[in-house]
Amino acid sequence: MKWIACFCLIILSLLIGCTAEPETAVIQLSALQPVPEASVTAVKPLRVAVAAIISPQGTADSYAPLLNYLGAALDRPVQLVQRRTYAEVNELVQNGEVDLAFICTSAYVAGERDFGMQLLAAPQVQGQTVYHSVLLVPADSRAQTMADLRGKVFAFTDPISTTGRNYPISLVQQLGQSPETFFGRTFYTYSHDDAIRAVANGVADGAAVDSLVYAFAIQREPELAAQTRIIHQSPAFGMPPVVTGTDARPQLVAELQNVLLHMHEDADGRAALQQAGFEQFVLVDDADYDTVRSLELSVNNQP
Amino acid sequence: MSLLTKPPVTRKRFSGISTPFFPWLAARLWHFIGAVSVRTKILGIVLGLVLLLGIVTTLEVRAMSQRALTQRLAEQSVSVARDVAARATDLILINDLYALHQLLEETRRNNPDVRYVFVIDPDGAVLAHTFGSGFPAELLAANAAPVDAHHHTVALVTDESTVWDTAVPIFNGQAGLARVGLSAASVQATVRTLTGQMLLTTVMVSAVGIAAAVLLTWIVTRPILELKTAAEAVGQGDLQQQVRPWADDEIGDLAIAFNTMTTDLARAEQERAEREHLRAQLLEKVIAAQEEERRRIARELHDETGQALTSLMVRLQMMNQQCPLPELKPQMEDLRDGLAETLDNIHKLSMELRPSVLDDLGLQAALQRYVQDYNRRYPVQVDLLVVGLEEERLPPPVETAVYRIVQESLTNIARHAHAANGSVLVERRHGRVRVIVEDDGIGFDPQQVARNGRLGVYGMKERAELLGGTLTIETEPGQGTSVFVEVPL
Ligand SMILES: Nc1ncnc2c1ncn2[C@@H]1O[C@H](COP(=O)(O)OP(=O)(O)O)[C@@H](O)[C@H]1O
Ligand SMILES: [Mg+2]
Repeated sequence: MKWIACFCLIILSLLIGCTAEPETAVIQLSALQPVPEASVTAVKPLRVAVAAIISPQGTADSYAPLLNYLGAALDRPVQLVQRRTYAEVNELVQNGEVDLAFICTSAYVAGERDFGMQLLAAPQVQGQTVYHSVLLVPADSRAQTMADLRGKVFAFTDPISTTGRNYPISLVQQLGQSPETFFGRTFYTYSHDDAIRAVANGVADGAAVDSLVYAFAIQREPELAAQTRIIHQSPAFGMPPVVTGTDARPQLVAELQNVLLHMHEDADGRAALQQAGFEQFVLVDDADYDTVRSLELSVNNQP
Repeated sequence: MSLLTKPPVTRKRFSGISTPFFPWLAARLWHFIGAVSVRTKILGIVLGLVLLLGIVTTLEVRAMSQRALTQRLAEQSVSVARDVAARATDLILINDLYALHQLLEETRRNNPDVRYVFVIDPDGAVLAHTFGSGFPAELLAANAAPVDAHHHTVALVTDESTVWDTAVPIFNGQAGLARVGLSAASVQATVRTLTGQMLLTTVMVSAVGIAAAVLLTWIVTRPILELKTAAEAVGQGDLQQQVRPWADDEIGDLAIAFNTMTTDLARAEQERAEREHLRAQLLEKVIAAQEEERRRIARELHDETGQALTSLMVRLQMMNQQCPLPELKPQMEDLRDGLAETLDNIHKLSMELRPSVLDDLGLQAALQRYVQDYNRRYPVQVDLLVVGLEEERLPPPVETAVYRIVQESLTNIARHAHAANGSVLVERRHGRVRVIVEDDGIGFDPQQVARNGRLGVYGMKERAELLGGTLTIETEPGQGTSVFVEVPL
C-alpha cells in the first residue's frame, strides 16, 4: 500500500511542477501605440562631427575625453555626431547641423570649394602639422611598389579621402593605368583603421592610409605592425583640420578656437589630446591644403 | 422512534471509517479485484502497467524537454541580443537608422523564435524596432541592463506567450540598449507535440497490450476452463474425462494430476461396481437359497409331517370310536386336542416359512391370507388393498420380494410401532409395482436404526434394490411410519 501512496505523491508533485508559473503582470504585445519620443533635453548640446577617419567605435573612444573637455569648458553637453562618409559630414557642416567638425583634408578642400567651409584649427602631431599617405601591404607580401599590386585587391578608405583614395589613384595614374583596370578588385572600408585591418587580415592585398592613423593604430595594437609593411610614403599634406558649421555664431567660434588652442596648457586638456593622438591645436592656413587640392584635381580630371 | 434509532447507525458508520485506512482500502480493493475474472485481472495488470509507465514517462519527458528547451531559448535570446548589439554599434554611431532597421528586421526574419528586436538610445528613445506601425508601451520598461552588464535576461509574460527578453548595452551603453525577445511559443508547441506523440504512443502500446493480454488470457485460461468443464463432468459421474495438458507448466502439471485422478477414480469405481455386482449376486443366491430352503421345509412340514400327523389324528379318531375302555376316552380326547394344536402350529409354521398360496395362488391371495391371519393374531387393525394384480401374476421373484417386504413391515409394526391401525397398498401400474405400508404408531429415527445394525429394514432395502427398485422409509418419532417401495417389472 505504501508504494501506492508514494506514486500518488510523485504524480501530484509532477502536476504541480508543471502548472507553477511565475506571476508577473501581462504585457500586451499586440497593443501598439505611437513610438515613445525621446525626452527633449532643455539645454541645446554642442554638436561635434568627427569624420570617419577611423571606425565609429574607435572615433567614439578616442574623442570622448576631448569632447568631454570641450563640454566642461563651455559648460554645455556635447553630442558626438558620426556619419559613414566624408560627404555626409560635409553636408552636416553645410546645413549647420553641427557646430564643430573634425574632417579630412579632401573633405575640407571640397567643402571650401563648394560652400566656403571655415578653418578653425588643426592638430599638431610630433611637432608637425603635416601628414602622409602610406601604402601598406601584408607583412608576407612580396610587393615592393604600387606596380607590384597590379591585379590585386585594393582597399580604399573613402571616396573623397586624400590619403586613402586620391593618393593611391595618383600612383596608379602615374603608371599610366586607371584603378578600375589596374586592380583586380577594389572596395571601400570607410575608415582608415578598417583598411589597416583589411590588409593585416589579408582581406586586401594593399591599402593606402593616413600616416597618423597608422602610427596611432600600431601604437594601440602592436600586432598590426607585425602583420603589415609600409612600401611607400607620400609627400606631406596639410593636417586634417577642425572646421566650424556654416551658421555658427561668431562668438561661439571664437570661444571654441580659444579652448582648442589652449587646451594643451592644462593637464586635463593634455590627457584629452593624448587620447586623440594629438599634441596641441594650432592655427592653420588655407594654403597648407594646396597640395591636397592639386592632387584631387589631377586625380579627378583624369579620364 | 425512527428518529431515535438513527443516530447509532450513523455513529457505527463513522466508527467503520475510523478503522486504519490502508487495511480497509486493501480489503475493499481485494473485494473488487477478487470479484473480476482472470481475464480482467491480466488485462488490468497489463493496461495499468502500460498506462502508468506511459503517463509517468510522458510527464517526466515533458518536464525535462520543457526545461531544456526553455534554457536553450534563454541562451539563444542572449546570443541573438549580443549579436544585434555588436552589429548595431557602428550603425547607431553613424546614425544609419535605415541600416539599423534592416539589421533588426533581418535578425527577426532569420530567427523564427525572435518575436521582436528593438534598440533604444541612451536617452531611452526607441531608435528602431520590428513592431511595424506602433510600439507596445509597457515593453520599454520591462527589462533593462546596467551599462557594464554583459546581458540581462527576464521571462516576460505577454498576451501571446512567455517571451525571453534579453537586454544588452550597446558600446557600453554609449550607443544605447538592444532588446531582443524570443517567444516560447515554438517551445510550447514542441513540448505539446512531444507530449501528444508520447500519449499517442502510450495509447498505441496500450492497444497492443490489450491484444497481448487477450491472447495471454486465452492461452492461460483455456486449459483452466477445460479443466473446469472436465471437473464438472467428473462431478456428474463421467469418469472417462481426460484433459489435454497444453503446456509443460504448472497448469500442465495440474492437467496431468487431474487425468491421473480421474483414471484412479475410474479404476476404483470399476472395482467397487464389480464388488457390488458380486455382492448382489451372492445376496441373490443367498436369498434364493433361503427361499428354496423355506419352501422345502414348508412343503416337508405340510406334506410329510402334516400328512403323518393327520393320519395319526384319523387313526386316533377311529381308535376313540372303537375304544372299549371308557376310562381311556378323556385321555384320548386330550391326545387328539394336543395333536390338533400341533398340526395347527405346524401349519402356521409352514405358512410363516413359505405359504404355498404364494406359489400356488399368487401374491394377492397370499397377502390376503397373511393379513387375515395377522389381524387375528395382533391387536393392530390392518387394511389391505391390492390393485392391478387380478389378471396377471407378477414374476415369481417380485412376488416373493413384495411378500417378504410386506411381511417384515407388518411384523415391525406389530413389534415396535404400538400402532392401532395399519394399511398395505400394492399397486401395479405402468409397468411398475408400488407398495406402501403405513401405520399410526410411534415412528422412529431411521438414522439411528441404520447405525444399530438391525437387519430387517436393511433386508427389505436389499430385496427391493436387487430387483432394480427402491425402498424409502418416511418416519419421525411420534409421527407413524410409511414404507414406500417401487419395483420395475
Ligand atoms: N413400524 C415401525 N414402528 C416403529 N419402529 C419401527 C418400525 N419398524 C422398525 N422400527 C424400528 O426399527 C428398528 C429396526 O427394525 P428391523 O430392522 O426390522 O429390526 P428388528 O425388527 O429385528 O428390531 C426396530 O428395532 C424398531 O425400533
Ligand atoms: Mg424387524
